[in-house]
Amino acid sequence: MRNPRRIRQAALVTAFFLALGPALLPAQSLEEKVTAHTLKNGLTVLFAERHGAPVFSTLYGFKVGSVDEHPGITGTAHLFEHMAFKGTPRIGTKDYGKEKVLMDRIAEVGREWSLELAKGDLADKDKVAGLRAELTRLENEQSAFIVKDEIDLIYSNAGGVGLNAGTGTDQTMYMISLPANRFELFCLMESERIRNAVLREFYIERSVVQEERKQTTDAVPARLLGEMFMGAAFIAHPYKNPVVGWASDIDSVTLEEAQAFKRKYYTPNNCVLAIVGDVHPQKAIPVVEKYFGDIPRGPDPPVFRTVEPRQLGERRVRFEFDAEPQLMMGFHKPTFPSKEDAAAAVLAYILTTGRTSRMYKDIIQDRQLAVSVSAGSTPGVRFPNLFVFSAAPRSPHTPEEVEAAILEHIEKVKTEPVTERELRKVKNNLDAQFIRSMSSNFGIAIQLIRYQLLSGDWKLFQKYRELIAAVTADDLMDFAKTYLTTENRTVAYLVKKAKAS
Amino acid sequence: MKRNTIVKTAAALAFALLIPARPAIGQKHPSDLGPPPPLSFKMPKPAWLTLANGVRVAYMRDTELPLVTVLGLLRGGSIFEPADKSGLAQLTATVLRTGGTKTRGGDAINEELEFIAATVEAMGGAEFMTVIGSSLKKDFAKLMEIYADLIMNPAFPRDKLDLARNQSLEGIRRQWDQPSRVSSLLFNERLYGPDSPYGRRPKPATLEAIGREDLVAFHKRIFSPDNLMLGVAGDVTAGEVKAILEKAFKGWPKAKVDLAEPAPLEERADGTIYYAYKDTPQANLYLGHLGVRRNNPDQYKLEVLNNIFGGGGFTARLMKELRSNRGLTYGIYGGVMEGRDRGPFMVASQLKAANFVEALGLIKDIIRDLQTNPVSDEEIETAKNSIINSFVFNFEQNVQVMSRLMTLKLQGYADNYLDAYIDNIRKVTKQDILEAAKKYMDPARTIVVVVGDEKRFDRPLSSLGPVKTIDLKAVMEAERRPER
Repeated sequence: MRNPRRIRQAALVTAFFLALGPALLPAQSLEEKVTAHTLKNGLTVLFAERHGAPVFSTLYGFKVGSVDEHPGITGTAHLFEHMAFKGTPRIGTKDYGKEKVLMDRIAEVGREWSLELAKGDLADKDKVAGLRAELTRLENEQSAFIVKDEIDLIYSNAGGVGLNAGTGTDQTMYMISLPANRFELFCLMESERIRNAVLREFYIERSVVQEERKQTTDAVPARLLGEMFMGAAFIAHPYKNPVVGWASDIDSVTLEEAQAFKRKYYTPNNCVLAIVGDVHPQKAIPVVEKYFGDIPRGPDPPVFRTVEPRQLGERRVRFEFDAEPQLMMGFHKPTFPSKEDAAAAVLAYILTTGRTSRMYKDIIQDRQLAVSVSAGSTPGVRFPNLFVFSAAPRSPHTPEEVEAAILEHIEKVKTEPVTERELRKVKNNLDAQFIRSMSSNFGIAIQLIRYQLLSGDWKLFQKYRELIAAVTADDLMDFAKTYLTTENRTVAYLVKKAKAS
Repeated sequence: MKRNTIVKTAAALAFALLIPARPAIGQKHPSDLGPPPPLSFKMPKPAWLTLANGVRVAYMRDTELPLVTVLGLLRGGSIFEPADKSGLAQLTATVLRTGGTKTRGGDAINEELEFIAATVEAMGGAEFMTVIGSSLKKDFAKLMEIYADLIMNPAFPRDKLDLARNQSLEGIRRQWDQPSRVSSLLFNERLYGPDSPYGRRPKPATLEAIGREDLVAFHKRIFSPDNLMLGVAGDVTAGEVKAILEKAFKGWPKAKVDLAEPAPLEERADGTIYYAYKDTPQANLYLGHLGVRRNNPDQYKLEVLNNIFGGGGFTARLMKELRSNRGLTYGIYGGVMEGRDRGPFMVASQLKAANFVEALGLIKDIIRDLQTNPVSDEEIETAKNSIINSFVFNFEQNVQVMSRLMTLKLQGYADNYLDAYIDNIRKVTKQDILEAAKKYMDPARTIVVVVGDEKRFDRPLSSLGPVKTIDLKAVMEAERRPER
């Protein structure tokens, strides 16, 4: 049933945008497409209709990420995300009864093995080897009862594409796109995963995640620099930890910790499901109710405690690695929805986006000190975050030179208002970006999840656009003066190791 | 019950208490479901029109959003460059865009486009040059004015060439920081030959040899109305497209397109192992030999074979054995690839160093198994179902459809290629796959390129055969030029 209040709101919003100038376009295109429905167990479902190609994309997120971890269990959210693909008591197995016995034994042996390994140099090497061998023997025994990757098999057969998941600082998301006639299959599979996930092959998958960390972080100088940088910019708040987890934590997380994590956070009341494409909500909602409706509501997630204390002095990090230099410079700032967050988005655009941005013209094109400079808010939106500049100097120029150039531009923003043309340009572009994001099922799903899951209401996408539209030159100057200060600054350089003399 | 069974059961029960058993409330499996309702799908197709000067234009109307996208394809990429000027195609593309035209400066064009949130970008690929434009629908005429001007009348000023060259030089410095990229570059070099149009890569010497006159000449060779295919998708009518494009490209003279075919590729792979030391945690692998020409008669068999071997997600043999069963990698893929002349048959992965030699053996075992034993009924069924049932995703967005159909036309595929595709996949048999594996994969012949730290491997590479060492630092030094 269309909500009459929503139609009136859309009209007001349209009028508001038109009053600001012809370049800003109304967001009716999204509002009109969305139907929201909440189950009794707290699961929020958002449908957005697009009846072009007979396909639909799904994206569902749990409000849990690396920010909910602490040292000792960093990387658990991500590892759990991997484990969610291993099936249920019926999917992925030939005989769950036999598996269960072996899995219980694997849990115990695995825990003992992990505990002994964690002793490092003091570990009993024979005991470690013995337990590892026992673990391998049990895993081999269990593998006889496993139907490998049956989730993948089922979706592939059905013509599914893009089966994947991702863990971030704030959230963990699961996605699959399917032909439009497979809606019931989707509901069956995902409701079973949420309710009945079996964490089989845990220790093998832990090894995969170890390789993932090596491939995506340890072998990538920019990512390593990012880890050093975050660790310095945040000294208390868990935004300081990498999503994939510290290597030693990946090595020691146990099956029980992964299961406890699931019970705490993988609940319908902590979940938002977006379904975008050739779907009809009136027909789809009863199917969703049938499959997801009887998943028991879980506990409310724990109240988050740690607040990052105010930074009272510059922090500098020097990271030596065999790679070309890079730099990061970040400043603490409030998150969405705030004037400051909108000002930051507009400032990032004016300074670094496009060939007409100030830093491109000066630092990349004219002085050629760097080959890239970018800026933006990171690493998450649930909590106060950072405004970060990243740059790659152009040889033979140094990070010092690029830093100095960036600071010159920051000083200029503090003393001279930006021009009306620059502001207008940015708003035209952010508006167009929004429209472009509506051109794919997945793009729409991302918008819906981001606002519903992380900010509590999908309609807040509108608030974001309003905040951006309202940013003035004074707001940018205030933002720069308040937040882009020396005391609030963390700077990290990646430089080559000094040659031994 | 035997005594130790009792003990085991008790132990199992005790441990079971640590991990509460799931309540078995109606656990479900997809086999519980009946067959899905039929899917109704009509393949969208562009309309075609030809401008007065001969430019062919594909057109698809899409009124969902007030956007327009323009795609331009020209035959003329890096494989047509002079050998000593590797990088010319990409520099030509970049400076075509950034350098402005005879009547509009590059910076002025940037200002104009970015203010209205419009874009024009040009890329020089291996075979084609691509120019993509996008804007809100209200700015379509302005977009096309600038787009056409850049294509017809680029100024190629020296300062923008220097800027683009300097950025490419920095890109070359930084490519050595990425181990998987290094393994890919070295593989292409060894597979095709370092002087081959398909195997060579831009180096400081080749970039520095490129002057303004080279860009002008390259542009002249390929930018002509009968070498440009355009596609327009968005909220514009056919009438608007014809009128605006005719006006934008008015007066563009035809020119002779001058592209000599590169020499045909010859198989060079001889089983050599190439090792390049880099202090990096994993073993970065590329292995293979030459593959096939595109649009070849075995292409559908290869499509299904590739899906089973190394392309079909987690159900593929490579992923299943190396990642899923053994945890030796985060990602591995491979297959018999198509190319303009011949693509590679290849396997690529970043592998756990401590099991690298074992992994290499496993990969070769997987290849040999496909050549010896027919794939299972389940495997071929899953591969074919996957390809056939996901076919609809090739038509999710109009820009995507248009791009594919334009490319197929330029590459010489039959007009009904897509219409016949599903039936052709259906026809593939287990015997076809076995024969294709025997014909197109040769594990003894594959060259192996590995970038990593041999000290971390399970066995020395020399245990596998003769190894040629590539000294990356020496390669970088030899290629480096004094800094500007």
